[in-house]
Amino acid sequence: MTAIDDTEKSPAAPIGRALRGGTASAGSRVVWSVYAGGIALLALLLLAVTGNDYWLNILILAFLFGGLASSWNIIGGFGGQLSLGHAVYFAIGAYTVGILFQDHGWSPWLAALVGVPIACIVAALTSWPTFRLRGPFFAMATLALNQVALVLALYFSELTGGPSGITLSFIPSFGDVAFIERWKYGVLVLVYLAVTIGVATWISRNRLGYGLRAVREDDEAAAAVGFNVFRVKMTGMLVSAGLTSIGGGIYAVYIRYLDPDSVFSLADVGVRFVLIALLGGIGTVTGPVIGALIFVPGVTLLQANLSGQAPGINVAAVGLLMVVIPVLLRRGVVGTVSQLLRKGGKRWSK
Amino acid sequence: MQTLFRILIIGIMLGGIYGLVAMGLNLIFGVVRVVNFAQGELVMLGMYGAYLLHSKWGWNVYLTSVLVVPALFVLGLVIQRLVIQPLREQPAMQLLATFGLLILFQNLVLAVTRGETYTVREPAASRTFDVFGAQIDVGRIVIFIATTLVALCLWWVLQSTSFGRSVRAVTENRPAARLMGINVERTFLVVFGLGAALAGLAGVLLAPVYSLTPNVGQNFIFAAFAVVVVGGLGSVTGAYIGGFIIGLVQSLSGYYLDPRLGTAFYFLVFLVVLIIRPAGLFGRLGSEKLGA
Repeated sequence: MTAIDDTEKSPAAPIGRALRGGTASAGSRVVWSVYAGGIALLALLLLAVTGNDYWLNILILAFLFGGLASSWNIIGGFGGQLSLGHAVYFAIGAYTVGILFQDHGWSPWLAALVGVPIACIVAALTSWPTFRLRGPFFAMATLALNQVALVLALYFSELTGGPSGITLSFIPSFGDVAFIERWKYGVLVLVYLAVTIGVATWISRNRLGYGLRAVREDDEAAAAVGFNVFRVKMTGMLVSAGLTSIGGGIYAVYIRYLDPDSVFSLADVGVRFVLIALLGGIGTVTGPVIGALIFVPGVTLLQANLSGQAPGINVAAVGLLMVVIPVLLRRGVVGTVSQLLRKGGKRWSK
Repeated sequence: MQTLFRILIIGIMLGGIYGLVAMGLNLIFGVVRVVNFAQGELVMLGMYGAYLLHSKWGWNVYLTSVLVVPALFVLGLVIQRLVIQPLREQPAMQLLATFGLLILFQNLVLAVTRGETYTVREPAASRTFDVFGAQIDVGRIVIFIATTLVALCLWWVLQSTSFGRSVRAVTENRPAARLMGINVERTFLVVFGLGAALAGLAGVLLAPVYSLTPNVGQNFIFAAFAVVVVGGLGSVTGAYIGGFIIGLVQSLSGYYLDPRLGTAFYFLVFLVVLIIRPAGLFGRLGSEKLGA
């Protein structure tokens, strides 16, 4: 904790603290003003690209995945439980909306709310046994869950449409969440992103956040100081799974097509949440958003510039980045920047 | 009865394949404690290496192992030294990096081959004969025998050589091994190389049996992870027997229930074992807590 005290006097300290997001030393008013400022900045960004459908689409996906990575980050980052199976909760949200809307005529607004308790129940049932596992073993078990869910989604084709998937019909109306003007989806994902970051900020500053971080660092020590380790992890997981399922519902109304291979894809969904959080800065509030704002446009640009050369070469470039970035930026963008600021701050105060 | 025999034989042959791939994975996951997603891609690279030597220079496909296996050993050393070792305190980053390697290798091969599927024609390997009514090709029997031999060799190395003793020490208690003067980093380096070399061997042996596509590794990797967990970390016996368990579960559930659910069943076995006995059926109790 001395590192934080050292920087207290330096001018760069508040920025570093704000980036790391809501540590105890930052006052409540400061944190929430930074939060409001950040959301306003994102809204301006959205406003700047509304005229350009190409960039608007990229930004919508960046916001959506920023929100999804923030949701993952609650249990994966704060709690240190590396779930590779969050695509399951994403898919529950997406399929609940798809099935209830397409087969039963429900409004996606309502269907998305129904998806949340379903995702939470599945999360509770699957986490109850797997929380006994640690580190790579938990990751492996959640990976297995993803693969089982994929097989089941393909198998129960009467419900999910099987490999041919579900197409959501498009008749523009607010009730069907079908918009011709793409910026309306932009507002929708902005609200989603604001909610997930808000929840993450709130959690990081209350007892649950401290509990999750304590469990991540040392679960035996956390139990010794009076945290119920299982309950802390489970609460974090339920919040995370519920938020993820809402993101899945938004994906369904935006893309309007669902099939098991794309919804359960490790590279495009489950591992992508982890990747974005790690790139930005795992366990920080701002990390997932910054990660998404770098990753999603980056991947799209790579695709646009490289895919003409040879099949798969753009994806190979993404793979190469996934190897190089962890080696170079071990703490993600936020961790690296705030470390630099801290070092700069120390030099300043001398 | 005839049908049951046939399904059992098919399951055992499949189990031989899974066991072979799992041997290398077990070394890497069981000893270095890295979830190496790219293991299936190392097998895939081995297959393409065998194909290249076989088709361009007319080598016997099994002979290509003298070049492919050392090449994969070196690749394993490079991966461990440049990617895994710098990230040794960050399991999340390691996981991500090996997933990146998976995507990288798969798509590089896709870019080079431009999506064309290759097959290795080795008449000796594709001859079939009848075992209790099941048509088995020579290629699969070679794999079955090779898996057994590899298991015996590995078991001997781990039990009787000083390298094997240091591997077992590192598997059981890393800090204690370090205190006893074992160079943990070097042990990891060699183990990762060996794991990759075994993937190369698996690739050579699988080349005459499977068609070559860039994502062929996905056929074995999930099953191999299941084998490692079911059999037990760092246990050669576990990988050998675990391979047959998973192979049999897949073939039996595939025949009697639904082939599309085969994967789900072996993952259920995997989850159940992971939860009831995380160390695996043949693993040392408590070994799962290390390095986690």
